[in-house]
Amino acid sequence: MVKFHPDMHMLTEFTAGTLPLAQSACVSIHLTFCSKCRELSEAQTAVAATLFEELEPAPVSDSQLDIVMSRLDETAPLAYPRENRSQTCSTPAILQRLMAGDYSDLSWKKITSNLRISYLSTGDPYYEFALYHIKAGGVIPEHNHRGSEMTLVLEGGFSDSNGTYLAGDFLFREAGDVHAPTALADEDCICLAVLDAPLSFTRLKHKWMNPFLQLRAS
Amino acid sequence: MSVVTKKPGDDTVSAEIGRRTDEWSQCLRAIAKHRDRGAFARFFKQFAPLIKAFALSGSTLSANHADELVQEVMLKVWQKADGFNPDKASASTWVYTIARNCRTDLYRRLQKFDTPLSAEDVSLDQEGEEPAAMLHQRRTRERVRQMMGSLPADQAHILAKVYMEGKSHSEVASELDLPLGTVKSRVRLAIQKLQIHMEEL
Ligand SMILES: [Zn+2]
Repeated sequence: MVKFHPDMHMLTEFTAGTLPLAQSACVSIHLTFCSKCRELSEAQTAVAATLFEELEPAPVSDSQLDIVMSRLDETAPLAYPRENRSQTCSTPAILQRLMAGDYSDLSWKKITSNLRISYLSTGDPYYEFALYHIKAGGVIPEHNHRGSEMTLVLEGGFSDSNGTYLAGDFLFREAGDVHAPTALADEDCICLAVLDAPLSFTRLKHKWMNPFLQLRAS
Repeated sequence: MSVVTKKPGDDTVSAEIGRRTDEWSQCLRAIAKHRDRGAFARFFKQFAPLIKAFALSGSTLSANHADELVQEVMLKVWQKADGFNPDKASASTWVYTIARNCRTDLYRRLQKFDTPLSAEDVSLDQEGEEPAAMLHQRRTRERVRQMMGSLPADQAHILAKVYMEGKSHSEVASELDLPLGTVKSRVRLAIQKLQIHMEEL
């Protein structure tokens, strides 16, 4: 049961198609876990479609219709298999697309003995999009955020001073929040994190790590 | 350029779409099953002007890009008609989501994004079987429209900016010279009102 969701504004921007690409990919993956947000987004789409129907029509010349009609033959119809889409694989489709394999096929960068990071390329130049692998019971050193951070739990779970987060749970932190997440004791945790600026570790002991956490948007 | 929305309820075009929803669904069916070009031309005449209006309401696209978008969306209609499921969405909701995704992709292309993900990959699936919340959608659209007509003008105006012009909350705030919090609360009030209304149905 998913307990933590994007707020209404984020869902609105997601539905309107205006959320930045990397962030909207993360929200979209949350929706694969969360029927509540899916229904909210569908209801908003109905609202948007109503606005669409009520737009003042803009004149389109007949030559446009001719151009499109002449191109129909080069456009092969797509056939949609009418099968149940609930996949056999638990990895969200967007991630499968970006990873070209499974979590184990990725190249992981070791940050601490508990934390490995793998950067995925969404093509969004403003946001880093990365998978975090935290060993069972492992702690991520306390850090704060110079920018915002979106986190989505994919497998396992973690907790911090605000609560416990399990698969599908979505968190959004603004710049300046300090936290130190700890993976649950019995299972490794895999999270997706979307950052718009690099993390900075607050404790002096971990300062040396910061160069490893340069923002890697692509 | 700003969105011109007509007053809901009292105009013939949207009432027409409402009454003839089934006609547009049937049109899509004819396109899917029989590659019916006559049906496609009728569908084009109905929706191309709305798609173009949607393209232009975003304000950053030129007239050429708007025409390009109309062509792209209509070719997708031809290509994807088989994926249209009338139990899940009305014809106009289906076309709207294609137009929205194509516009987002066009913006990204113009900004030279090089991405393996299309807007469609990332958006909520409007196709396939899944009969969830949209089941009621067609029956409720008249009431959604009435409800939209009863929203205070400032809330309706902001919804149009968010959904039709495709502006983020902060862009809307700076354009209207309002605090971000005010924009957010108007969006929240409007959506809550519409959502409560839809849940009652
Ligand atoms: Zn949710």
